[in-house]
Amino acid sequence: MRDRLLRKLADLHVTHPWKMLTAVLILTLIMGNLSSRIEVTMRTSDLLPEKNSKVVEFNRIVDEFATATNLTVVVQGDEERIKEFADELEPLILALYDSSMNESNNEKIAKLEERLEEIRLSGRDGSVIPEIKSEINSLQSRINKRLFQRVDYKAETEFLKNHMLMLIDENDLKNTKDIFMNPNLSELLTNLNNSMEKEYVGQEESISTREKEDGAFSFLDGIQHLIITLQRAVKDKNTTDNEIYKTADKLLFGEPYMLSYDRQALVMIAIPNFTIMDRDLLGIAAVSVQDLIDKQIREYPDIKAGISGAIAREYDEEVYGREAIGSSTLFAMIAILLLLMVSFRMWVSPIFALLTLAVGIVWALGASWIAVGKLNMVTSMMSVIILGLGIDFAVHLISSFTERRAAGESIASAMRNTYLKSGKGIITGSATTACAFLTLMISEARGMRELGIVVGIGLISILAATMFFLPTMLVFRERFVDRRREKKADKSSNAQKDISFKFLGNFGELLSKRYLFTIFASIAVSSILVMSALKIKYDHNFMNLEPEGLTSVALMDTVLNKFDLNIEYGLILADNIEESRDFSEKCRELSSVARTDDISIYLPSKDEQNRRIPHIREVIYNMKNSSIRQKIRSSEIEIIKSEIDRLEMNIMEMQDMAYIGGQDKVDKKCMEIVGDPDDPKSANIIRDLREIFNSNTTSIQDGLTGFQKTFGPYYKSAVLKMGTTNPITLQELPLTILDRYGNRTRDRFMITVYPQGNLWEHKELLDRFVDDMEYITEKATGSPSLMTALMRIFARDGRNAIMLTLVIVFLLLWLDFRNPGYALMAMVPLACGVFWMMGAMQLLGMKLNMMSMMGLPLIIGIGIDDGVHVMHRWLSEGNGKIRIVFSSTGKAIFLTSLTTMFAFGSLGFSIFRGWASFGISLAIGVAACFLTSVLILPGILGLIERMKRQVSKEKLKSNNEEL
Amino acid sequence: MQYKDQIVKIAVQVWTIVLLIIPTAYGQEMTGEEIIKKVNEIFNPASSYGRSKMTIVTTSGQKRTFEFESWSKDGGEKNLVRYHKPGRVKDQATLMLNHADDIWMFFPRTQRVRKLATHAKKQKMQGSDFSYEDMGSGDTFITDFTPVRLGDEKMNEKICYKLEMVRKEDSDLSYSRMIMWIIKENFVPVVIDYYDEKDPVRHIKRLVQSNIRLIGSIPTAMRSVMYNRGDNSQTELELLEIKYDLPLSDAMFTERSLKK
Repeated sequence: MRDRLLRKLADLHVTHPWKMLTAVLILTLIMGNLSSRIEVTMRTSDLLPEKNSKVVEFNRIVDEFATATNLTVVVQGDEERIKEFADELEPLILALYDSSMNESNNEKIAKLEERLEEIRLSGRDGSVIPEIKSEINSLQSRINKRLFQRVDYKAETEFLKNHMLMLIDENDLKNTKDIFMNPNLSELLTNLNNSMEKEYVGQEESISTREKEDGAFSFLDGIQHLIITLQRAVKDKNTTDNEIYKTADKLLFGEPYMLSYDRQALVMIAIPNFTIMDRDLLGIAAVSVQDLIDKQIREYPDIKAGISGAIAREYDEEVYGREAIGSSTLFAMIAILLLLMVSFRMWVSPIFALLTLAVGIVWALGASWIAVGKLNMVTSMMSVIILGLGIDFAVHLISSFTERRAAGESIASAMRNTYLKSGKGIITGSATTACAFLTLMISEARGMRELGIVVGIGLISILAATMFFLPTMLVFRERFVDRRREKKADKSSNAQKDISFKFLGNFGELLSKRYLFTIFASIAVSSILVMSALKIKYDHNFMNLEPEGLTSVALMDTVLNKFDLNIEYGLILADNIEESRDFSEKCRELSSVARTDDISIYLPSKDEQNRRIPHIREVIYNMKNSSIRQKIRSSEIEIIKSEIDRLEMNIMEMQDMAYIGGQDKVDKKCMEIVGDPDDPKSANIIRDLREIFNSNTTSIQDGLTGFQKTFGPYYKSAVLKMGTTNPITLQELPLTILDRYGNRTRDRFMITVYPQGNLWEHKELLDRFVDDMEYITEKATGSPSLMTALMRIFARDGRNAIMLTLVIVFLLLWLDFRNPGYALMAMVPLACGVFWMMGAMQLLGMKLNMMSMMGLPLIIGIGIDDGVHVMHRWLSEGNGKIRIVFSSTGKAIFLTSLTTMFAFGSLGFSIFRGWASFGISLAIGVAACFLTSVLILPGILGLIERMKRQVSKEKLKSNNEEL
Repeated sequence: MQYKDQIVKIAVQVWTIVLLIIPTAYGQEMTGEEIIKKVNEIFNPASSYGRSKMTIVTTSGQKRTFEFESWSKDGGEKNLVRYHKPGRVKDQATLMLNHADDIWMFFPRTQRVRKLATHAKKQKMQGSDFSYEDMGSGDTFITDFTPVRLGDEKMNEKICYKLEMVRKEDSDLSYSRMIMWIIKENFVPVVIDYYDEKDPVRHIKRLVQSNIRLIGSIPTAMRSVMYNRGDNSQTELELLEIKYDLPLSDAMFTERSLKK
């Protein structure tokens, strides 16, 4: 049956090559069209099972909260300049809109309106009218669609100006309320010192957590600003009212801009009007903002700015991912082409092989679109994988056909024999590898399952292209050559030279003759490499899989370093405000959590608000009754001087506590104010102010009076304004806050939980953070939870896939060789090859990671081929032909291993480090399986041949004896 | 006279060793209460002087090593710590009285002494993974926990009693329970696992003690490492020198003495 089909197919190529070519072209056009629809996504959640609770919850957040997707602009430079830059950029970002779909949408709207009119005029059933109208509305909303809804880069100052006191924790309010009670400078300094002694110097734990450390930092920042402004007021007397207002605001509300701790970087978080699912808008938004930055930066040559965040990363990874795969594929194709040209000593057939591959990849992509719809972080590498594996089919077919033609067979006969002799082998070989990949379908993880489906289908597509397209081209070529020969009357033989690898044959024979040495040496080398393999470490740092050199990725490090802000955070979706508050409080108690961000920051509970009210009333009472003195008296200057001295001592003590407590941010901030204790020459701005005070009392009196006249009234009115005791309610919160934390219907609220430290660098910390989040609520999700789930599922699926692949491969081989012993023998090089691969990786200083782990089940499917080919040839050649086996089949497996290595190795140049490690580890694996096939198998075959010889001798002897 | 003193000293040492050996020999019959009493004696010598080195990890991830001297009296009820290295903290001192219920700090740069709020006891002690409560625990092992023997186990190559210490209902200590592995030979806890204040299943910290030497009659762990499972940090505390049963005056443990 199989023979008849193969013969028929071979005849078709010879008798109707044009029809075959036309059919292939039509199919390629259809599949090309389908393949153009395929999308690429680099999201981690797309690798996990769709029904995984973490994925479901994550997708819910992405769907309901535009804030879950953002574009971050990171601006670096001098503090004032980056603030100016951001102020200018914000309205430009908000004005961005998308008009790319206007034309097509207008056309669609016009058609729909025509249809509406038709329905109205015809008086037909109008039940579809609402549906059409809603479609029109949806299309209209896409016309000139605004890309961003808001840009967060400043605190909610307006809201804070009205409710600040109500938002301060009761204990902190108790300790710091003195600061808000009197606007006169001497009292303000006294109160600042009193509060500081209560809150910071008297309580070590006031700076012991990340949130508290940030609070202390902000408090010190306000004092630093006050000292600098006072210096200018008494020295130069040219402080503007605006500067003094800013000083008051900094003391009361802290820094309004989202500045880094060193004030040299600023982040702007642009919240889009779309979700990450709107793939077309991702690119438009990223490119538009980058264009704005590029234009604006011309006026700010001293500033550096770039984009990061989910939108920029998704876009960059998609674009560079396509480019990387494109360049890897091209590199692999060129390398394979050159290799085949050199080894076959001709150029046309290798080009045919690559054309076949190109057609096969188009078919594979089209079929993948039908099967899975989109490619993910893992399956986007499929073209390179199937290139490396699929080329083998073409190599075998071309070799066989050209050999037969060289032997003088006609085109028809050569084609028929090629199909009958090599076609079967090609089909069996590709079936084994495709089956190995298709076993991955058992995986729960979508990433692994789809990789199995896509590569399995891909290999079948390449096989189909090899069987349906390549022979046609070979027929055309042979006819062309024949015609040219006829014209030239060239009767010379086209017989080819023996191009087998004799050295491999000789070496194989030598190893088989010295089988004991070969076996012991193999055991010794394998033992060393097994020991090495057992030492291989696993790299849990997911960031090491990220692309290298991408601005959006590099800026993530900037954000992490300068803002100490981990952008890989946990997310929890609460069903109401109380739940949000409860989860947030519980999370803050965990030592694995640095801080949380949720609506309760702006909406304390009723009880909390009620407890704060008496303190606020006390503040307001005192502030209302304080009168601002219009002149600073000379006696007051002495008080101010002593309070400044006290302030210096308080900050020094805070600095010493921070140093011993390891709170570096507070220590550094104190250093900016009172100097570095290890460097006596370092600047101490408080001491500088004291020195100015010692110089000229009258001038100082004037300067301070001027300062107080502006500062006092502003400070007083600001405190009175922020001391509202009316309870804050959800309805009162500004839209910007509601949008940040609440969904559109305001019935679900998002909590962002920032971990303590870099999770990817410490597996224990990652596990702890994820377990802690899970402990708070099963609804916890976010990148750390997703990644942990992914790693656990991949490990389990990988193990299962390896086991199943081994069983299937063994069964297929048993079926093929009809002898379980031979099947096991064919698997020896593979088993050793896997350990050699891991051992070599360890010796080369490589670590396993999630991507290279995924290569392990694949190497079983790929690496088995070498052993199978050698065994087949050895069985067909019979005893004593090891030299021929290895010079001929050895060459074939050498070539196919090299082509596969080129394909996988080309991924090594990818900027996607995950792909690079996947490609390199598989290339090492292929090399290892080739080496074990040509180094270990000869010894085993030599031993078996000897045993066979001995058995036959004994048989002969016993026969003789019997005789 | 000197000869007599010598004899008395030897006799005391012999008795101490005998007292330690006898329960070891019949260790399997010891109750949890008896074991923890022995541990408490080791943890709270009448008085001591030590020179130590402590390494912490700062919030920006850098390691910082301090060297300090410490004195304790009245079974750990009074504690004084004075820093020597690095130069930035030279002479900075902390005084803990009433088992760390009252804490004072002395800052040499300003020559001022500050009293810390009382609730600092449960907090991390000066950037380390030890809390003031861990350092000046006093008799809390006996007064605040109920010991339960869980059988014997080998831990860090030592044959140990395994004790579960369950916090008593009226106690306000920071750990709901602790699991201790106490070396049978000398009653030094080689490992202590601490569990969350509210959730007795959540393991939060682990103390590992090693390099145990007999100082006078008291077996002493010269190296202690506290592992914090929450933020994956750890603090190493190494004893460079230790002396017990010294005549220390009460005047040493006063606010005034902090400045000296």
